[in-house]
Amino acid sequence: MRSLNLHLKILIAVLVLLGAGITGYQIFVLGIPVSEDETDDLWNIDAKVAFIATPNVPVKVQMYVPPLAHDFVSLNESFISNNYGVNVNRIDGNRKVTWSARRASGNQTLYYRLVLTKRYSQDKPKVKGPVFRDSVPLDGPEKVAADALLAPIRQHSADVETFIGETIKRVNNLNDDNVKLLLGGDSSPVHKARVIDLLLSVAHVPLERVHTLRLVANMPQVPELWLRSFNGNDWLYFNPETGEQGLPADRLIWWTGDDNLVAVEGGKKVLVSFTLNNSEMNAIRLAKLTDENTDADFLEYSLYSLPLQTQQTFMIMVMIPIGVWVILILRNLIGLQTLGTFTPVLIALAFRETQLGYGIALFSLITALGLSLRSYLEHLKLQMLPRLSVVLTFVVVMIATISLLSHKLGLERGLSVALFPMVILTMTIERLSITWEERGGGYAMKVAAGTLLAASLAHILMSVPQMIYFVFTFPAVLLILVGFMLAMGRYRGYRLSELIRFKAFTQDNEAGA
Amino acid sequence: MFAFLKTWKALQARGIMGINRRNADYVLKYNDRRLYPGVDDKITTKERALAAGIHVPDLYGVISTEKQISRLGAFIDARDGFVIKPAQGAGGDGILVITDRFEDHYRTVSGSLLSRADLEHQISSILTGLYSLGGHRDRALIEYRVKPDPIFRAISYEGVPDIRIIVLMGYPVMAMLRLPTRQSGGKANLHQGAIGVGVDLATGITLQGTWLNKIIRKHPDTTHAVDGVQLPDWAGFMALAASCYELCGLGYIGVDLVLDEEKGPLILELNARPGLNIQIANDCGLAHRTEAVERHLAELAQNGASENAEERVRFTQSLFGHVGP
Repeated sequence: MRSLNLHLKILIAVLVLLGAGITGYQIFVLGIPVSEDETDDLWNIDAKVAFIATPNVPVKVQMYVPPLAHDFVSLNESFISNNYGVNVNRIDGNRKVTWSARRASGNQTLYYRLVLTKRYSQDKPKVKGPVFRDSVPLDGPEKVAADALLAPIRQHSADVETFIGETIKRVNNLNDDNVKLLLGGDSSPVHKARVIDLLLSVAHVPLERVHTLRLVANMPQVPELWLRSFNGNDWLYFNPETGEQGLPADRLIWWTGDDNLVAVEGGKKVLVSFTLNNSEMNAIRLAKLTDENTDADFLEYSLYSLPLQTQQTFMIMVMIPIGVWVILILRNLIGLQTLGTFTPVLIALAFRETQLGYGIALFSLITALGLSLRSYLEHLKLQMLPRLSVVLTFVVVMIATISLLSHKLGLERGLSVALFPMVILTMTIERLSITWEERGGGYAMKVAAGTLLAASLAHILMSVPQMIYFVFTFPAVLLILVGFMLAMGRYRGYRLSELIRFKAFTQDNEAGA
Repeated sequence: MFAFLKTWKALQARGIMGINRRNADYVLKYNDRRLYPGVDDKITTKERALAAGIHVPDLYGVISTEKQISRLGAFIDARDGFVIKPAQGAGGDGILVITDRFEDHYRTVSGSLLSRADLEHQISSILTGLYSLGGHRDRALIEYRVKPDPIFRAISYEGVPDIRIIVLMGYPVMAMLRLPTRQSGGKANLHQGAIGVGVDLATGITLQGTWLNKIIRKHPDTTHAVDGVQLPDWAGFMALAASCYELCGLGYIGVDLVLDEEKGPLILELNARPGLNIQIANDCGLAHRTEAVERHLAELAQNGASENAEERVRFTQSLFGHVGP
């Protein structure tokens, strides 16, 4: 017995450690989210290109699309255009789509749709960029103004970063005469950027225009202009208007360079409008979707690699041990009496179809009606199998009637009983009626109530979404559960009901003392 | 919560055995599953007992198929009283006790009249497995109806009182007299409402009683005191119970015995999972007694000795007997 106990303890310890170990590995090493609430934003960006085509000339529309370097992952990209040929190519770190058609006329609309999400990985790839450039030749008053501006900038800066920052600050000071002269009355961001570029070129500091889109939902947007410069290691981003440094996380780089977003040949009045909306998606599913782009190998051998239909079945199946565990506790620790051992779990599964309150009502109604039929059949002295068949058929007819009635009354819930397991109901009726005859109505009621209570508790626990997610994602916790069940297998203490059952002893004791 | 903990401690101090403890430490440990059919099937038990020369109620006949039901007449026609039982029934379910006849009807122990067709339906239900443990097909046996000794008339309502003795490895550790009541419908099973009365192992004198988990001293139907009754032939009961270990090989059993007015103590059936209410009837926990027997067994094993049924009875009587009423 002692060696058996040791054996059992080792087995339990191994199972619990294995379960905890695998789960810990999944959580801490693979970084699988612990709860389903951990979602990632999914962005759906639509760019609509509208223009009027000139009749009888070939049409060619060229538009920049995001290069998707390393901060974002594209999940789906589509070019929606009737009768247009589509061609995408990469030029100098930009991507450009070319729509072309032999002839078109009237209003034309082309769509570009991109679904993307932030990339998980933290490591940044090496970037390269220019660190030096030739200055743009200046003369006349512009040269004087530029020199006048650059002198204090040089004074106030220590490196490229501060130099650019200081330049942007100066250019945005519209009261400065030198700035006024350089801007020539046009203080749009584009123009400012041009002036900043000019100033920096005199100092041989390279600068690039970056056109970004802000990832914010349901807001009309135009690409926002940023400036960037390479300091030898990284790109430094600057807002040309505020001098703010560093690109906010919600900016998506659409294209770089001085060109316009869209260029049309054979058309006019081109207009690009952006629509953004976002949806949330479970991090796991997202990782699965981006499988090709990210390292989602950890999902390879999980239940998530099953087909979706099978996954849904497994989501129910992995919860059955939890339900059984509830019954185990209720019966062996608390001492609740139920009909049969696992009947409550089966009823709990049936509640999935009907929901709890309605399920209990339906269960009670059908069982009560079935019991009265059973007691009538008792008089006919039928053999067991024919009697069970009659009860089963009666249960089916009753469910059909209830469905029909509730449908006529407009209660759609009544239709959900279609899959309420009839065999379980029949067996419940049979067992309950035998219990009733042999142990009396009171006991039968007690057992029926115990069964319903156990089924309800099991159902409630089995349908906690967080729990389903957790067990489905980390099936190793079932090993821990098995460890607990094994330990329960040699539990020798009293059941809660026994403390009440044997109360006579303690009362006697107190009276004697 | 605290109150429960207090009750827990109190029960533990008195050696009260719970179901989990009984299952883990006794039933699973001492009762080899392979031997269960020997006690679960009453026909097998009876055959073995007869082979070993142990007294059991006479077997009139066995019906194992629907076709054989027509042979029922051959078994019962010459007899007024008899008992129809499922061979693998549990908890006294499905048992039909016929005391005499009226016209062409059969009178049950509770006084209701049944026709021949009713009896045949009952047998048919037994055969289909309605009362058997696993719900599988069963056999029906028809046997001698025990006529209880007149000593029990005052403290029993209808039916046959029986004596349950818990036997651990052949050592009888606790005994109880089970008295049918009006509520139990003439059956001697405690969960059906019968009374359990503790019995002193050494003398065979009854102690207090338990009814529905409560302690009582009088029979609710006859209002006679149930304690202080001397059971006749107590030595015979103890010897029979102790010999059951050799009969079935199971280490922890409840032996159900009856006292017939003509044939004396008879073994009715053996139970591999005896109930725990016997503790209330004896106002004493089982655990202390079983532990004492286990210690004694360990001692014997060390000395390489073993005891026969007689010595075993003497050991437990000296240790657990002579309890004050």
